[in-house]
Amino acid sequence: MSNLSERVHLFDRLAKGWAIFRENLLGKIGLTLLVLFALMAVASFFTPLFGPMYDPMTGVDPLISHATGPGWRHWLGTDFIGRDIFTQLLEGAKIAFMVGLSAAFISIVLGTIVGMLAGYMGGFVDMLLMRLADMIMVMPSLLILLLLAALFGQLNIWLIVLLIALLRWPGVSRVIRAQTLTLKERPFIEAAKVAGASHIRIIFRHIMPNVLPLSFLYMTFRVTSAILVEAALAFLGFGDPSQVSWGMMLQWVWKTGHMFQAPYWLLPPGICISLITLSFYMLGRAMDEVLDPRLRKEEFSE
Amino acid sequence: MTLISVENLCVSYQTKKGVLKAVDDISFELEEGRSLGFVGESGCGKTTLGMALMRLLPENGRVTRGRILYGGQDLVQLSDKGIREVRWNEIAMIFQAAMNALNPVHRVDAQLREAIATHEPGISKEALQGRVEALFDLVEMPRERMRAYPHQFSGGMKQRAVIAMALACNPKLVIADEPTTALDVIVQDQILQEIRSIQDRMNISVIFISHDIAVVANVCHDIAVMYAGQIVEFGSREEVFNTPIHPYTRLLLTSYLTLEGDRPAPLEMIGRTPDLIAAPTGCRFYKMCPHASAMCENRAPEYRQATPTHRALCSLTS
Amino acid sequence: MELRKFILRRLVEIGVIFFVILTVLFVLFRIAPGDPVARMVDPMWTPEDVQHVISQLGLDQPIWTQYLYYLKNFFGGNFGISFHYGEPVLDIIWKRLPNTILLFTTSTILAALAGVFLGKIAAWHKGRKSDTWMTLGALVCHTLFVPWFALMLVWILGYKVGWFPLNGIISPEVWVRGNSNFLVKGLDVIHHMLLPLMTLFVIQTGSYLLLMRSSMLGTLKEDYIVTARAKGLTEKAVRNHHAARNAALPVITSVGLSLAFSINGGALTETVFTWPGIGKELVFAVSNNDYPLAQACFLLIAAVVLTANLIVDVLYAYLDPRIRY
Repeated sequence: MSNLSERVHLFDRLAKGWAIFRENLLGKIGLTLLVLFALMAVASFFTPLFGPMYDPMTGVDPLISHATGPGWRHWLGTDFIGRDIFTQLLEGAKIAFMVGLSAAFISIVLGTIVGMLAGYMGGFVDMLLMRLADMIMVMPSLLILLLLAALFGQLNIWLIVLLIALLRWPGVSRVIRAQTLTLKERPFIEAAKVAGASHIRIIFRHIMPNVLPLSFLYMTFRVTSAILVEAALAFLGFGDPSQVSWGMMLQWVWKTGHMFQAPYWLLPPGICISLITLSFYMLGRAMDEVLDPRLRKEEFSE
Repeated sequence: MTLISVENLCVSYQTKKGVLKAVDDISFELEEGRSLGFVGESGCGKTTLGMALMRLLPENGRVTRGRILYGGQDLVQLSDKGIREVRWNEIAMIFQAAMNALNPVHRVDAQLREAIATHEPGISKEALQGRVEALFDLVEMPRERMRAYPHQFSGGMKQRAVIAMALACNPKLVIADEPTTALDVIVQDQILQEIRSIQDRMNISVIFISHDIAVVANVCHDIAVMYAGQIVEFGSREEVFNTPIHPYTRLLLTSYLTLEGDRPAPLEMIGRTPDLIAAPTGCRFYKMCPHASAMCENRAPEYRQATPTHRALCSLTS
Repeated sequence: MELRKFILRRLVEIGVIFFVILTVLFVLFRIAPGDPVARMVDPMWTPEDVQHVISQLGLDQPIWTQYLYYLKNFFGGNFGISFHYGEPVLDIIWKRLPNTILLFTTSTILAALAGVFLGKIAAWHKGRKSDTWMTLGALVCHTLFVPWFALMLVWILGYKVGWFPLNGIISPEVWVRGNSNFLVKGLDVIHHMLLPLMTLFVIQTGSYLLLMRSSMLGTLKEDYIVTARAKGLTEKAVRNHHAARNAALPVITSVGLSLAFSINGGALTETVFTWPGIGKELVFAVSNNDYPLAQACFLLIAAVVLTANLIVDVLYAYLDPRIRY
């Protein structure tokens, strides 16, 4: 019974949320751009259809073996060993989404669990977890990753994703903890306790569903920082050498000294990184408005 | 001597759903040294009226019609510079006790000084200090607390500080908007006494806005009852209390408990105000009125004068 | 009174955090694959030098004693010898630190001032064209990819137009000439600093503008703004003295919170411009497997971040009386 009414209620909220979102210009622009990037990422799966010449990593054009400008054969030109830049760009989109979304997802899972635990348990556990969160939040993530790369050698892309997530969960956990603290006092939690529910059950069955929307809101910001950190890492030469990310492309431009002569190579990856960050940010802001009524355009009140 | 005279004032707000007429055709006069209370429930437009008098309406609010005559000028037409000179110097405001009327990052005495210095730029530091001290004495606040920050004050003390600030430039008219709401009863009484005493001593006119008719009756010579943006009854305190005409006024009067006498009849739904975006053509109180007739639904009522000083907006004769 | 207690408490906190970081680093260096001794000792050195360093750093001792040696050396300022430069690490980072501080604090302070000023105006003109443009501009600036933007600036303003040098902090010719006085040398440094400064400044200003704008919009809804207007103050006075004063507070906190992020950006900028600061040294040290130098750079940055956080906290407490009293 309650499930049905809950579902109807949820649908109603989604519909209302969509109406508010639609009005927000920034959100629409952000979403449009993201769809474009997503299409690019999807397209990257189809590039092998055009022939081995267009492989972003190993593609070798029999006719060209140095950096050239845009043309019919290569829409954005070629890099210093004749690989097609456009396909590299598409591949980069795929990597960006992959890294961004997975790192964000893992950090949200971690952050939500930690936040709920800290808020619910309180006391020593809370203090310990929040101190840990503070410490991690204070440190510059890029530099930590650099140091780890120095010590542990070349980092594989999934290891990078995991490390980014491990450095990024504190931000989420603070918010979730605050939310958990307010929820803890609510009568329905008391009721569950009286009914004999174990702590684990209360946390995951009652608190988590109420806290998740907030987690996902903060996901957009995690995605941008993950993409940026990976790009910076790749730029400095510590990324996964088997993956063609936008940061890696910039590394090649820079290290091969082509940055002044090859704008067709320098501009696209940088613009893409900035644009995808911008679009996620706009999306995040629009979602902020949907989820936090106080931020909406003024409604008249006496 | 008439201090302020309002003629056919209309104030509207621009909202997503349309134009909301918060104040519709309000007219009244206030003499020097007299106090007038505006009573009504939330949404009746009394706060809007108070703000409009000082041209403090928010972005989406506008005076669409009418005049506010003060000191020979129409405040509605006055320039920005002109109204700034009138503000605080001539007309000051005491805000709701619950509000954050005081800036949390500035000391209280600094905020009082700012009020004075804005209108008397040449004033010397010592004179300024003296004035602030005198104001604190006036509202019976200890001088040692002058340099405190607002968050260090209790609710009652904050309200006194707000009153002191309002009096800083010796205004002729003070608009008090729910100054005692959110204060406990004892403090409420103290503040009301404070206001009354100041009014008597300094011969200041007071416009007192409240939802509580008992409080208004305590302090004001005249009472204006407001409903849905209109003045539905206007008269002296005695007239309104002893011989209320409008059904809404009668409802309000029965809505507070007294320690003596019979228990009054239970209150009928003093509740939803009519839609002020698409205001009804007939009497706005029609839906709630126990004496309504078919005529009331369709015809807008006009003011009936019971005495030269007592009028009500009602079509019924009784 | 309260302020002093507050500062003391925070100092103890950051002391603890730093200690934890020290220890974590110690552990990391030893659990990483490979020979931990090779981390601190360059196999290229002569056997006597190698033995000297090993005994100095206690690398031949059991692990607990090593830890004590580690701490003792840290507080004694002995970070080992850099593989790449062949000099004591302490000397190197001591020379580099002022460069980083110069670049970083200048850009952060200028950006904070500009961001607060512009954000205030944008919020005041909300809805109008000036606000739309400013917000859009700030959004774009906020999301620029730091090293890419740095490269763009070098390319356009350094290479194409030739107004600025391409890298480094000084032009050696200027400094070697016998008759260059302090002013000329100073101007040379500034000339070199302008591009990296611009990189950081533009991006950070964007962020602070956005923050100040939304903070200001929230503040403008507060009741004391109505009071200020009612008192007859001019719009300018209301905006600056009442609204901006309150709205700027969260921006200051965020300078602290975003320090980690800006330091990332700072290191990237230093690397692209070869600005001889701690960030660039860290990146280069990591690239060259110069472990002693990398470790010391990292610790130094950690210390700087923690100190900067403390300064921001104190500043905020000073400006917001609700915390102090």
